[in-house]
Amino acid sequence: MRRLVLLAAAALLAGCHRAPTRTNEVVSTASREISTDASSSIWDAAPEHLANLLPQDLVDPRILKPTTAEVRVRSVHNGGEIAFRLEWIDRTNDDMPGPARFLDGCAVQIPRGIEPNPPDPRMGQGGRPVEIAFWRADWQAAVNGRKDTIQAIYPNAAVDHYPFQAKSLEGTDAQKQMETRYAPARAVGNHRAGPRDSPVEDLVAEGPGTLSPAGARQSRGKGARTNDGWAVVIARKLPEGLGPNKRTQIAFAVWEGSSKETGARKMRTGWIPLAVRAAR
Amino acid sequence: MARVYNWQLGREMSYWYPESRPKRQFAAVFDTNKCIACQTCTLACKTTWTSGKGQEYMLWNNVETKPYGSYPLAYDVKLLDMLDSGSWSGNKYEGRTIFESAPAGERVMGWRPEQQDYAYPNCGEDDCAGQVDGGAGMMSLPHMSWFFYLARICNHCTYPACLASCPRGSIYKRPEDGIVLVDQGRCRGYQECVRGCPYKKVFFNPMTNTSEKCIACYPKIEQGIQPQCFVNCIGKIRMAGWISKPEDAKPDNPIDSLVHIKKIALPLFPQYGLEPNVYYIPPIHVPLSFSRQLFGPGAAAAVQAYRNAKNDADLAALLCLFGSSEKLMPRWKRIGDDVYGLDEKGATLVRVPRNEPVFIRPAYDKLYQITRTNCP
Ligand code: SF4
Ligand code: SF4
Repeated sequence: MRRLVLLAAAALLAGCHRAPTRTNEVVSTASREISTDASSSIWDAAPEHLANLLPQDLVDPRILKPTTAEVRVRSVHNGGEIAFRLEWIDRTNDDMPGPARFLDGCAVQIPRGIEPNPPDPRMGQGGRPVEIAFWRADWQAAVNGRKDTIQAIYPNAAVDHYPFQAKSLEGTDAQKQMETRYAPARAVGNHRAGPRDSPVEDLVAEGPGTLSPAGARQSRGKGARTNDGWAVVIARKLPEGLGPNKRTQIAFAVWEGSSKETGARKMRTGWIPLAVRAAR
Repeated sequence: MARVYNWQLGREMSYWYPESRPKRQFAAVFDTNKCIACQTCTLACKTTWTSGKGQEYMLWNNVETKPYGSYPLAYDVKLLDMLDSGSWSGNKYEGRTIFESAPAGERVMGWRPEQQDYAYPNCGEDDCAGQVDGGAGMMSLPHMSWFFYLARICNHCTYPACLASCPRGSIYKRPEDGIVLVDQGRCRGYQECVRGCPYKKVFFNPMTNTSEKCIACYPKIEQGIQPQCFVNCIGKIRMAGWISKPEDAKPDNPIDSLVHIKKIALPLFPQYGLEPNVYYIPPIHVPLSFSRQLFGPGAAAAVQAYRNAKNDADLAALLCLFGSSEKLMPRWKRIGDDVYGLDEKGATLVRVPRNEPVFIRPAYDKLYQITRTNCP
C-alpha cells in the first residue's frame, strides 16, 4: 500500500515537470531577468533546441570519430543581453590542465553583422568576422576558487624553490616583476594565460586559425556539473542590430577533454537560425 | 603540402609550407664522446629560463643515457615504432618522413606523451647495453657493456614539425637566424606542437596554458654569445654557430667544416625529415647499427674520421675550439699547431694551442719553502 502511494506521488511530481517545448531553431524568449545560474527558473519557460553535433572534420587537425552527440540549448534575452544555456552529456569532468590533459568546454558563435547570408560557419571568413564566447571548465574551477599554484593541479607536486620567492624579495615590486618574467605568456598579456577572473573568453575570428581576443569583454557565464554532464550559461551583449523580432544565425561547439579534444579537434554544429522574440 | 629539399635525406620531401630558409641558420655540434652527464647544461638552462610556476617539469635541455634513457619516457622508440622508416640507399633516404606518414586529419605523424611520461627524466641513467668487441671481457658483467650520453636541446629544425603542427601559426622561425620560437602572445595551448615534435622539445605550461620551448638563448645569440648550455658545459662538448647548405659550405666556418667537409657531425634521427640543426659527433664505442638508427648513414665514416683525428691537423684543431670561448665563432683558422676562433671580420676571439704546454710543479716549493700536495 505504502509503495503504491509513493508511486502515485512520484507520478504526480513527474507530471509537474513538463517536457520542454522543442523548436527546430534557437528561440530566445524575453525575460526580465538574466541569470548565469543554469538552475534558475528563468530557463523553465524557454523552449529547447536540440542541436546535433558533428565532428570538425573539415580543417586539419580534425577529429574523424564523433564524441559528444548533441547539445540542448535554451535562450533568453532582456533587450540588452542574450543568454544561452547549453547542456550536454559528459561523464568525465575534465577541468585540470596539464601535458596531454585537455579540458571540457563549449562555445557560442554569432556573425558580427546581422545579414541574410551568414559568413562561412567554419569560424567566419576574411572581412566577415564571427564573435565567439568560449567557456572552459578549468577557468570555471579557477573562478570557483581553485588556487593559481601547481599544487592545485598536482596536489603532490614538491617544489624546492622558485627564485622569485627568495626571502629578500618578499613583498617587493621586483618580486612581482620576476614572477611575471618566468610566466612569459602572462608577461606579454596573453588573455588565455590567467590568472582567470571569468570562465568565459570573448573572441573574434575571420576563418580557421585566425581566432583572436575581442577588443572588449562582452560575455559572462557560469558552468556547473549536472548528474550526467555539464550545464553552462553564456550571456553576452545582444549583437549590434539584433533585437526583438529579428533573426540571425548561431553555431555551437563542444570540447570533450578526455577525448583529447582541443582547438580544431571539437564537435560543432553548422549555422542554426536564432529568432529573438519580443516580450508578450 | 609543398615539395621541399632536405639535404639530410638527399631528396625532396613533402612539408606543410614551402621551403624558406633563413638568412643564416643557428646550428650546433655536440661531441657525444666528451659528455660526462654532469647535467650542468640542464641546470644552466633550468635556472635561466624555466624556474617559473608550471615549468617545474620542463627540461629544454636534457641529457639522457642511451640506449635506455629517454625524456619524456620512450619518446624515441614510440615514434620509431610508428614510422615506416624504410632504409637508406647510400645517402638517400628511401623510407617515409613523419610529414609523409601523416594519417588522415593530421598534419604530421606524431606521438603524444602522457603526463606521467615526463616523470622519469633520469630513467635508464648509466644503464649499459650491447657488447663491445674485445672490450670489458674480463669484467664479465651481468649486463652488456656500452652506453653513452646524449645531450639534447631543440634542434631549431629547417622543417620544424612543431611549426607545421600549429593550426594557428603561433610558431615561427626567425628569418635572421633560423631560431624557432612559440609566440607567447598568440599560443592558445592546443599542444599540437607537443604532439608534432618528434624530439619532444616543446612543453605545455599548465599555469599559463601555453606551450614553451628552447629559445636557443636568442638574447645572447643576438649579442654574439653562445647559449647558456654551451658556455656552462663542463665537458666542453658543444659549439654553436651557423650552418650553410652543403653546396655553400665554407671551409673557414667551423660548423660547415665539421658537418659538411669533415662529415664528422651528424643530425639526430634525420629520417624524421625535419633537417634538425644540432649535429652530433657519434660515440665511437657503440654498435654501428644503433648509431645508424640515431644518426643516419654517415655514422661509420664519422666514427672513423674521429678516431683518425690525431692524424688530421685541421680536424684536431677544430676539436680544440669546443668550449674555448664564450663568444660565437663564425670563422676559424689554423696556423701550425694553433687554432684560432675568429669573428665575422676575421679578428681573433681566441687562440688555442693543439697541445697545451705541460708544467711540472715540484712537490717542494723552494721559493716559499713549502711542500705542496698534488692530487693525482
Ligand atoms: S626540435 Fe622540435 S621543437 Fe625544436 S624546432 Fe624541431 S620540431 Fe620544433
Ligand atoms: S654540461 Fe656538457 S658534459 Fe655536462 S651533461 Fe651537459 S653536455 Fe654533457
